[in-house]
Amino acid sequence: MKRAAALLLALLLLASAGCAAPKTLRQQTIFAMNTVMDLRIYASDDSLLQEMTRLLSELDHELSATDAGSALYALNQTGQAENADLAQIVSRASAISDETGGALDISLYNASLAWGFPTGEHRVPDEAELAALRRTIGLDKVAVSGDVVTLSDGVKLDFGAVAKGLAADLCREKMENAGVSGILSLGASIQTVGTKPDGSDWSIGVQDPEDPSNIKLTLRLKGSKAVVTSGDYQRFFEQDGVRYCHILDPETLAPVQSDYRSVTIVADSGFLADGLSTALYVMGFEAGVSLWRTSGGFEAVWIADDGSVSVTEGLAPLVSGAEAEVIQR
Amino acid sequence: MKTRIWILLLAGVFLALAGILVIQKLTAKPAAVAEVFVDGALVRTIDLQTDGVYRIESDRGWNELTVRDGKIAVTAASCPGGDCLKFGWQNSGAPITCLPNRMTIRFTAEAALDGIVR
Repeated sequence: MKRAAALLLALLLLASAGCAAPKTLRQQTIFAMNTVMDLRIYASDDSLLQEMTRLLSELDHELSATDAGSALYALNQTGQAENADLAQIVSRASAISDETGGALDISLYNASLAWGFPTGEHRVPDEAELAALRRTIGLDKVAVSGDVVTLSDGVKLDFGAVAKGLAADLCREKMENAGVSGILSLGASIQTVGTKPDGSDWSIGVQDPEDPSNIKLTLRLKGSKAVVTSGDYQRFFEQDGVRYCHILDPETLAPVQSDYRSVTIVADSGFLADGLSTALYVMGFEAGVSLWRTSGGFEAVWIADDGSVSVTEGLAPLVSGAEAEVIQR
Repeated sequence: MKTRIWILLLAGVFLALAGILVIQKLTAKPAAVAEVFVDGALVRTIDLQTDGVYRIESDRGWNELTVRDGKIAVTAASCPGGDCLKFGWQNSGAPITCLPNRMTIRFTAEAALDGIVR
């Protein structure tokens, strides 16, 4: 009898162990960095979700170019700031800029303002205006020494091309430290973390630039990956039949005119994926393929304006839903 | 006597485990429901199995949501850009959002996609 009771107790303990702290899907939607962020994690309580929400709000406050209380706004106004976070972002973005021949340029804020993207008051500046702005643009006018960032000649920075990637990295680190899996949708940036509870791959849809209600293709990814898309359909305005997208070409200071509608980057780092998606959109298809062949560290999907899809060979087995040309290394 | 106790004990354990399995199955079952949030607060839960038109109003503006054939779309809105209209008809995946009105439609159904890069 005693043995039977002990056995029953052991069985019940075993059964209840699985239910003691079940990791269930927990979701939070927040508005930060000028976009909607959807956090979905598999955790036993809401504490990590709350912690990440606080982090994203803090980053939004610190890295906004338009928020008059932000650290970046202060740097843009005064031309100098001692701030380890800002210094690190500038250094990392500059490294991507070097790697991409200047295609990623976080010093374009004055040009972006001239086109009205930050304010929503869109306009087409003439060439003389853009030429005059040229002297207030360029990473050669941005210096980092330790934690001090110095801007000269009225240069203003905009972290729009990297901030969400940085946010994804910081959230991923928190989740990995806590042993929590999940998926974070930060606007055009998605971060998968760990393994889904059922062990299946993360299934990520890439939007069809031609019809945003459609999914052009699906990527099946394992583990922690950052997926970021840059395209001409995300933020744009049209004037006199011409579409002007929010991604500016550092050479012309005008919106990129491309035969490609979007570039999606998959990488381990959100910051890298975010920065590269902008850079590769600016560089165009051929130069982007060339960079992928020489540098590695990322995979890419291009969607052309005729709807055709090209993928780098590392992603080819993971793509479904669309015929794709596979680019060999 | 001993045998009867064993049978009772094993039956008890079996029933307990079966109960747990049933509960897990029930809670994991996809619910064809869309939840509408304004400023992060749940304001309405909509059954996607029933066609209908819903107007979501807040201090910021309004969105008209239409449910048809198991899917939902924003079919009219007061926001200036109308980006929320471009999400089209959805019943899973990443939320439909209207940034100016701070309105989000989230799907509680088990999503076919975990996320969408837009």
